[in-house]
Amino acid sequence: MTRLRNANLMTPLMWAWGAAVLVFLLLPILTIAVYAFNGGRSLGTWEGWSIQPFQRAASDPNIIAAVSTSAQAGLGSAALATVLGTLGGIAAAKVPGKVIALFTGLISLVLVTPEIVNAIALLIWYVRIGGPFGPGATPIDYGLSRLMVGHAIFSTAVVVLVVRARLAGLGDTLEEAAADLYAPVWRRFLQITLRTAAPAIGAGFVLSFTLSMDNTIISSFVSVSGYTPWPVFVLSAIRSGLRPEVAAVSVCLLGLTLLSVATVAVALKGASRRSRSTP
Amino acid sequence: MRLLPRRLGLLGLSVPATCFLLGFFVIPVGFIVYYSFGFKPGLLAPVATTKLSLARYSEALSGPFADIFGTTLRIAIVATLVCALVAIPFAEWLAVHVPRKHRLKVVALLIIPLCTNYLLRTIGWQVALSDNGWVVSALTKVNLLHGGLGFLNTQGAVQLGLVYNYLVFMILPIYVALDRVDPATRNASRDLGAGRIRTAVEVTIPQAWQGIVSGCLLVFIPMMGDYLTASILGGANGTMVGQLVAAQFLTAQNWALGSATAVVLILATLVTVIATMILLRLIRWTVGTQRAIRLPKGSTS
Repeated sequence: MTRLRNANLMTPLMWAWGAAVLVFLLLPILTIAVYAFNGGRSLGTWEGWSIQPFQRAASDPNIIAAVSTSAQAGLGSAALATVLGTLGGIAAAKVPGKVIALFTGLISLVLVTPEIVNAIALLIWYVRIGGPFGPGATPIDYGLSRLMVGHAIFSTAVVVLVVRARLAGLGDTLEEAAADLYAPVWRRFLQITLRTAAPAIGAGFVLSFTLSMDNTIISSFVSVSGYTPWPVFVLSAIRSGLRPEVAAVSVCLLGLTLLSVATVAVALKGASRRSRSTP
Repeated sequence: MRLLPRRLGLLGLSVPATCFLLGFFVIPVGFIVYYSFGFKPGLLAPVATTKLSLARYSEALSGPFADIFGTTLRIAIVATLVCALVAIPFAEWLAVHVPRKHRLKVVALLIIPLCTNYLLRTIGWQVALSDNGWVVSALTKVNLLHGGLGFLNTQGAVQLGLVYNYLVFMILPIYVALDRVDPATRNASRDLGAGRIRTAVEVTIPQAWQGIVSGCLLVFIPMMGDYLTASILGGANGTMVGQLVAAQFLTAQNWALGSATAVVLILATLVTVIATMILLRLIRWTVGTQRAIRLPKGSTS
């Protein structure tokens, strides 16, 4: 009897805890979303509702430059990470454990290293090697290639994991059947391996792009003036005083990110349903 | 016989990524170690390695640096424990109490903070908690507070920011671990007369153990290197080692000392993680040997 009463008491407590944690997690984001409509000049001081921050952000050349730098660096690093990570992920899924252990070990090392260590290492390295990462580089400006390569390191490791997870356990039967039917190696690779991995490759690209758009620590160490990505712009705005425009742009970016993540989720779900339904 | 060249070909696919990571991750990190033995030759040059010594390490381990190492370790350990204490009941709620068809919606809500820039989430707290923010005005309105909160720019604010920024990374692995568990085991424990708390300690937590351990690793390691949360919510005074490293590279231009501090940071993180793992193994082993029911030899049916 007492145990029954306990159970009845525990269930609402658990629900209250769950709701409280969710509110806690969403609180600062809702705060930013509301303050994006702040009519005042300073982000922290509320002076009534207004859509002016959005209008001012859309016509501020510094903000536009920062967002476009972020977008370019994001596309470049996502492309680099997707190519390297897809090839690596296929190897990690198809080659048996011990042979590939060194490679997977390297991937885990990248994933667990604190980002700040990675950032200072890159700063040292770029200054030392110069070339495409030093002033005057062509055809890609060194400000941009520094960001692209820097962001691609972590993303490559992430794409390897995503692609490996997709291919693991599928076996080689399809490839072997194709080989028995005299399909050449490159055709087996393109039409079977890459096609099976396609949803994961797409997801990896979107994830890499999002990670790059959000990257703050590596960017703040390696970026150069003229190529300031958006998070570094925000970081310097914190020091000089935040304005509601920053919140307005961030809310728009959050909307875009959520949209792309939702697209990936739907794509991956659809793909797994399709591959399950084909015997 | 066809298998070997095929495997070599597949192994070759990992070569581009390996070269890329060697060239932009392994070798650069190696240079941190190399530079940490160097020195700062003058005002303009950030580092020189003509004379190698351990002097930067003794600098990085003495005086104010050692204090900040201690503070960082304390803040990161407390924040990891708080994350675990908040996340375990939450993950159990999500895995047991929330109906299956609604779970994905809750997980989607958890993903929203991850999709938000981490600077921005931290700024959100700064705006909310500042003395002219809405939290203070709401509390003043209901007469719970007079005057400001004075919470920003304290270690408490850094602690809150860290718990907030890493909580989801604790929740997800624990949830995944609990979700795999058959609820029948919990009911069985209840039917056999164990109370709520005993079921939690002896059934639920051991089942979630792998998730708790990986959650702690996922949270503790990046927290040790975190410097943005501390520099936004903690004010001008440095409280975390990450801020020291960043300052040596971005303002003081002393790469040798910055590198040595970073190496000590990595070692301190590794030693803490390994020591905790060994300690936990020992505890489980002692508890295990006390609990084990020793069957007489031969009765292996």
